Amino acid sequence: MNVHIKIAVAESSVIVRTGIVSVLQQLSINHSGISEIEDAEQLRSLLGRQKYDLLIINPLMPGLFSLQQMRKESVNHDMKYVALQNSLLDNSVLKSYDEIISLYDSTEQIKEKINSLITQTDSAGNSESLTVREKEITVCVIKGMTNKQIADTLCLSTHTVISHRRNITSKLQIHSTAGLTIFAIVNKLVTLDEIKKYQ
Amino acid sequence: MKKLKTGKYRESDSMSNLICCNYPALLVLSRFGMKLGFKDKSIEEACNDNNVDVKTFLAIVNLLLCDDINSDNVNNSLFIPSLILYLHNSHDYFVNYRLPDIREKLKNALTQELKDLNKAVLYYFDEYVSEVRNHMSYEEETVFPYVHSLMSGKKNIKYNIGMFIKQHNQIEAKLTEFKNIMIKYYETESTNEINNVLFDIFNCENDLALHNAVEDKLFVPAIVELELNTSIKKL
Repeated sequence: MNVHIKIAVAESSVIVRTGIVSVLQQLSINHSGISEIEDAEQLRSLLGRQKYDLLIINPLMPGLFSLQQMRKESVNHDMKYVALQNSLLDNSVLKSYDEIISLYDSTEQIKEKINSLITQTDSAGNSESLTVREKEITVCVIKGMTNKQIADTLCLSTHTVISHRRNITSKLQIHSTAGLTIFAIVNKLVTLDEIKKYQ
Repeated sequence: MKKLKTGKYRESDSMSNLICCNYPALLVLSRFGMKLGFKDKSIEEACNDNNVDVKTFLAIVNLLLCDDINSDNVNNSLFIPSLILYLHNSHDYFVNYRLPDIREKLKNALTQELKDLNKAVLYYFDEYVSEVRNHMSYEEETVFPYVHSLMSGKKNIKYNIGMFIKQHNQIEAKLTEFKNIMIKYYETESTNEINNVLFDIFNCENDLALHNAVEDKLFVPAIVELELNTSIKKL
């Protein structure tokens, strides 16, 4: 998969923080950058601006506000929160986090935990092969048809068309019509003569 | 961007050392219009010689060298006209040099026989370039003039930097997608030419990400600060 996730690590100790970042970099996860956050104030200002997919955070960071508050203030409402546990903590503190990473977890354990969080966000489709229906819809999309037109042609509801399109995007990781066209030509779903804007 | 030296650079460090240890910093030089041939000059001396604000220069260089900086600590030392000059030259570099150059190389690297596919590939690339052009001309035509009027003490009530933050997207994402599509679906011999263009795209992706980082982490916070000060003056 080519999903690039944006990660933030909030931990006040520079030694622990850079340690986590360096472990994350060894995991061969596709990420588009890891931000380091030193204190609660910086966290607050960044959450309101940056769209992180994953936040690894020490629940005991001085001055930290509640997880509910963070969820409210973050610009990405689907962000996953991972508690970084480096001492004994009350379960009631930890239970609202999506996952817990212990300071003593192995690289493999950390990788597994993060991967399972990412695939959750990533929705079902892992296979790149499209169903017959999805191929039909891909062809309609690159011919420039609207969802309504596709629905009418294939006798589907618009809602179904939209959900097929979502699956196509998630299977192929291609977000643009121009990209779908390249895919369709390679897989001989269509020839350029059939598409007006390429004439 | 590969981290070649950790720790931040200071005014007194040697300019030629900076470049030798961190060749991507060359891009920063050309965007500030600085001349090469530094001899043993310090970063501060070299910047003064070229009329470049040294603090802004260092802020960008240090952003380039470390993957992430604490954006809240740097903005008060920036000189906004220098920053705008940098961004403007950077826009010019992408739109008028880098992307057309990649297109030319791409065109020459494509396998002759795959006619339809090549057409679709170039169509994708051209569509991308026109998106980048729009993205950048919005900044040139709307954001920069707004900042200029702020600096002269006038506050435009119809616009604020928050509107820019909201619509500012990561322009390198679509180039990444393009590169992924090429690697996955474009069946061709692995030639020097195709490698060359893919290397260029990988590099350009990084350049664009840095360009965005300069906007998001240096430019935007500086303008937010400027907006605050301008409204205080008004009271």
